[in-house]
Amino acid sequence: MRPDASKKLAAVAPKKGPNPAIIGAVVAAVVIVGVVVAIMIGSSGKSGSGPAGSAQPAGVTGGKGGGIFVNAATAKSNAPTLDLFEDFQCPSCAQLEKVMGPEITSMAKAGAIKLVAHTLSFLDDNLKNDSSKRSANAAACASDAGRFLEYHAAVFAAQPEQEGVGYTDAQLTEFAKTSGITGAALTTWQKCTTSGQHAQYVTDVQEASSRAGINGTPTVKLNGADITKTLQTPESLAAAVKAATK
Amino acid sequence: MGPRFAGRLPNVIGLLARLILGVVLIVAGAVKVTSPAVSARAVQAFQILPFDFAGYVGYALPVVEIAVGLLLVLGLFTRASAVVGGLLMLAFIVGIASAWMRGLTIDCGCFGGGGTIVAAQTQYGLDILRDAGLLACAVWLVARPRTALSLDHRLFR
Repeated sequence: MRPDASKKLAAVAPKKGPNPAIIGAVVAAVVIVGVVVAIMIGSSGKSGSGPAGSAQPAGVTGGKGGGIFVNAATAKSNAPTLDLFEDFQCPSCAQLEKVMGPEITSMAKAGAIKLVAHTLSFLDDNLKNDSSKRSANAAACASDAGRFLEYHAAVFAAQPEQEGVGYTDAQLTEFAKTSGITGAALTTWQKCTTSGQHAQYVTDVQEASSRAGINGTPTVKLNGADITKTLQTPESLAAAVKAATK
Repeated sequence: MGPRFAGRLPNVIGLLARLILGVVLIVAGAVKVTSPAVSARAVQAFQILPFDFAGYVGYALPVVEIAVGLLLVLGLFTRASAVVGGLLMLAFIVGIASAWMRGLTIDCGCFGGGGTIVAAQTQYGLDILRDAGLLACAVWLVARPRTALSLDHRLFR
């Protein structure tokens, strides 16, 4: 039997075609660079600490990125805390406002709840505009003027039919007027809004809420417990609030 | 069916497996790659990985999906690409099943979007079924990476 020389021959024969190892290394390097670049782009601008925009609006509670304690003046000490997480561009939030807004407002004014509003802005990223951040900043400026709830109601009442259309600067100013911000307060509000005085705060609220596991809007918490799914009618909300009152 | 065709049939099945898995990965990556913040939040909404790490995964995932998808469509490094693609599908299935079992009501964000949605809109079963089908494509290619019309065959035969 003749010895099989094919293996020997194959080893001696010159390699044909490109080297898989080299091509593989190039492909792997391209992918790794792509991943690193994507992470760098994604992470950039998240904590843009501009000198303007770093001011905290009136009524912030709970540290960095905390919500606005809307009715500190009227809230009774034994009242439960109602946390609202909303994005001004979120249609379901406008729906919640329509159904529950009057009850929430009246309970806040009566001091039956400690109302804390968290104005989120993640929908800007989904809708590729900046209306959530601008309107949240404008609402924070309205809080400085003591008119947060009124402003909040005005924005949701005027939410465009089609999600993503957003709010114009003129509309934001119109909301301020309908919320009863006038004279010198309106001038201050306008300056605050135009300069994006609370822009960093708005970013912080989104960051803090995401970290707290708020992954959608609206989210409603009563004394820290998520009650969003149980919200049916203003009466059921009032009953839940009453039950949570010590 | 002649014997020649019967002999090539597995290669054609392999080609289909490559194209299905590859095209789906490219599409899924492409719709997410331009919205890194949305992708990051979609991963964070699963509440499995630590918050910051989940964000990085969200940024990186679309790039990996596009890269693996392109390699599969070209048929370059088919077995290695299928291993990565299969592991991705396995991770997605585990993540979706975990969210389902924990009673979260989220959109998987597989093709953009993501985050909490109303319970009636969740479609965990369909998502898992789709990913299981794609996993089957990957398993085939790992077991039998030789496929019709592949760069592997052209370059490295």
